[in-house]
Amino acid sequence: MPGSFIYWLWSLESILEVVVLVCALSRHSFRRYLCLNLYMLSSLLVSAGRYWALSQHGLRSNEYKYFYFYSDAVLTIFLYLALITLYLRVFDEMNVEKYVRFAAVLLLAGTALFSYGVVQQSSNRMLTGFFFELSQNLYFVGLVLTYVLWGAILKLRETRTQLIQLVLSLGIYFSAFAASFALGNMFPGDYRFLGYVVPVFGCLLPLAWAYAFWKLTPDARMSTARLAVVPR
Amino acid sequence: MSRKLTALLLAMLILVGAMGLKTVVAAHSNGTVMMANGGGPFPPVQNGGGPFPPVQNGGGPFPPVQNGGGPFPPAGAQ
Repeated sequence: MPGSFIYWLWSLESILEVVVLVCALSRHSFRRYLCLNLYMLSSLLVSAGRYWALSQHGLRSNEYKYFYFYSDAVLTIFLYLALITLYLRVFDEMNVEKYVRFAAVLLLAGTALFSYGVVQQSSNRMLTGFFFELSQNLYFVGLVLTYVLWGAILKLRETRTQLIQLVLSLGIYFSAFAASFALGNMFPGDYRFLGYVVPVFGCLLPLAWAYAFWKLTPDARMSTARLAVVPR
Repeated sequence: MSRKLTALLLAMLILVGAMGLKTVVAAHSNGTVMMANGGGPFPPVQNGGGPFPPVQNGGGPFPPVQNGGGPFPPAGAQ
């Protein structure tokens, strides 16, 4: 069974997810960032489900493994949708919503097709492998999408502080996961250490979002000079 | 139309970039390292992540074949 530190971080993450939802509801930002809040809500429900599966069947059971990987795929798709709604927010004044949605569906379909192509040879565990591969690939798609969005924010001189905070925290979250993934692959012997570090990253995202919803009003603006120095 | 093509091009570029990045990052991967969001400890997995299902698409043992289906031709067959 996992150590008490892991349980402590897990509890902290769940508490922070509740805090995000409470902050969003109390500041009337729940519907404004519906997909972000739905991701937090689903993450909370998944945590409860994983705890149930873990306590009922144990860490090495197939029930827990299946629940873990399938729920991870669902959460990753929710996170992808949350990221796309941030795109819609950034580009809402350009009347390109239709094209953003079109590109998002194409990208999701392309990622699914690519994942299918990778796992089609291992036909004995096709479905499980597909969802695992899709989930891992969507992380990298999300990482690239976040950096592209950050570039668009700088280019468009976006000044909404809350939106910037949400995008930056998502960028840090994806980058930290990608970095830990790379480190885990480079130093496979130290993977146990990363098993403790990765849940800390999981706590940082709800913490940053709770701050964004609680401290920053939707109308708060930031001067562009603080984001980037534009050469004249 | 050109905007749709631009959206298509951007989607493909992002997909290629993301998969290229994954290939670089996971160049020495043995499949045991993964990323996962949400709480809870990682379940122990073998290469490639995800548990083996208890049965594979119907019962019965696998026939002993290597590298593709079909029976072996008799030795010395032309």
